[in-house]
Amino acid sequence: MTAPPVLSVRDLRIEIAGQPVVDGVTFDIAAGETLAVVGESGCGKSMGALGIMRLLPDVAHQTAGQIMLEGTRIDTLPERGMNRLRGARIGMIFQEPVASLDPLMPVGKQIAEALAMDATIPPAQVKARILDMLERVGIDRPDLRARQFPFELSGGMCQRIMIAMTMIRRPVLLIADEPTTALDVTIQKQILELMAEMRRETGAAVLLITHDMGVVAESADRVAVMYAGRVVETGPVAQVFARPRHPYTTMLLRTIPRLDGARKVALPAIAGAVPDIRNWPEGCRFNTRCPLATAQCRQDVPPLENAGTPGHASACWNRDRIETELAP
Amino acid sequence: MNPAPIISVRDLKVHFPIRKGLLGRVRDHVRAVDGVSFDLYPGRTLAIVGESGSGKSTTGYAVMGMEEPTSGQVLINGKDRAHMSPAERHAVTRQLQLVFQDPASALNPRMKVRHCIAEPLEIHGIGNTASRAKRVRDLLDLVGLPESALDRLPREFSGGQKQRIVIARALALNPKVIICDEAVSALDVSIQSQILNLLMDLQARLGLAYLFISHDLSVVRHISDDIAVMHRGRVVEAGPTDQLFAQTRDPYTRQLLAAVPQARPR
Repeated sequence: MTAPPVLSVRDLRIEIAGQPVVDGVTFDIAAGETLAVVGESGCGKSMGALGIMRLLPDVAHQTAGQIMLEGTRIDTLPERGMNRLRGARIGMIFQEPVASLDPLMPVGKQIAEALAMDATIPPAQVKARILDMLERVGIDRPDLRARQFPFELSGGMCQRIMIAMTMIRRPVLLIADEPTTALDVTIQKQILELMAEMRRETGAAVLLITHDMGVVAESADRVAVMYAGRVVETGPVAQVFARPRHPYTTMLLRTIPRLDGARKVALPAIAGAVPDIRNWPEGCRFNTRCPLATAQCRQDVPPLENAGTPGHASACWNRDRIETELAP
Repeated sequence: MNPAPIISVRDLKVHFPIRKGLLGRVRDHVRAVDGVSFDLYPGRTLAIVGESGSGKSTTGYAVMGMEEPTSGQVLINGKDRAHMSPAERHAVTRQLQLVFQDPASALNPRMKVRHCIAEPLEIHGIGNTASRAKRVRDLLDLVGLPESALDRLPREFSGGQKQRIVIARALALNPKVIICDEAVSALDVSIQSQILNLLMDLQARLGLAYLFISHDLSVVRHISDDIAVMHRGRVVEAGPTDQLFAQTRDPYTRQLLAAVPQARPR
């Protein structure tokens, strides 16, 4: 018998004022694996992550589905039980590292606080463990840095502190919501490498929320592409990028300027804008922008079905027309 | 033969004083821009690329006249901005326009689109009510927005549409140069390419020159003719875009390029 996935999300539905912002989302993440959830603003990717952590804003509610951590349902746990999981079993890092830290406390002390949540460690050992952790996340002169406040550190360094603070508790699941979006590219590269290293070391499952296809390609094993509250395509990163099986993924990958593409030519744009949540279209929600859309697409929701290779699925009635009719 | 540059920057320095102590004495300077030179030619795109704190935005502000150079020159049509009469400065503001990163904060939330776009015409006293109204409709059409947008408020538009409104307003005075400071950075990828296409299209139709300030090397490579890579207030490498990407000489540029995540799995 194989172990259950670290995180298992089944038909998750989250509503705001009766409108689904996350609409029937299903995925698994195994230990040591990184799943990237990618999509544009308003697609529900961050709401989904907040839903898993049960940190939804007051206006949003989970109205259907199940969330399981290592085979145990957590969406039905009482708040006290959930509180014990957050930080300990589920680690979280966010886009704004400086805002995620307490501005009035030296960062070393903040890591000590995190450490003290799990067990009583003799004070003599606490310091050694913190300094060791700081060194492992690539902070030089850990002794000095531990005594500094967040405002004295750069954004990249604060994100390293956040990772140290999160990983020192050895969570089985790490949820990272746009962890490098606010950082410069050279720092982003370092932070992504650090996250990969931490994952290898601890065997944690990683849920990486991002809008950046480049970040997905460089750091995830599998990807789930979200559009207007639904997963429209999912699969191993290599397969999805080499042969996307949904028009949205296909066009999204083509519209990004590339370092090896033609210059100074019109980019193959996706017409229109992401529909407003109050006017999500019937059927496939991409139908208003899709060149392949038919009457069926405007009526029936396409199921997320196997798209050829194992583990690769897409929700499109016309996936067989993509390669002939959406040729670049 | 090359035409004359529309903007020339020569050994530009912008230093900010650091004041410390009770008397606020100047103890040191932040050398935000520290000896930058470049030329921008009509109808072309010069990209200034760099990470945060590289001085790229401050350079743009100095060109715009929003930041006083500590030393060096900003020449517009060959004339030093520092030696212009107030009337000349006023005339120059019509030729240079600015588009920022966040269109939502660049538009007055209580002003209808028609007034947002007409405001520069009113300030500069161009035309009468009827001719201004026609100009506004033409501008909307130019940036690909329907006429029905005229009487709506900025908040009724998506981020990409708001940036189109900002661009329409920037075009109102028939400028020769648009300084785009991270103009597409806050937009979703599917919208970003629409705005890049619009900028390239407008350049072809109107002969605009762009000073395109960005941190995004893929975007910059796509849209620019020439590039200046900035690092710690200095240009570390500059040249025609295709040449610079084909062969980078500067170690920092190389490091920057290597860090760009590519949408291609390894």
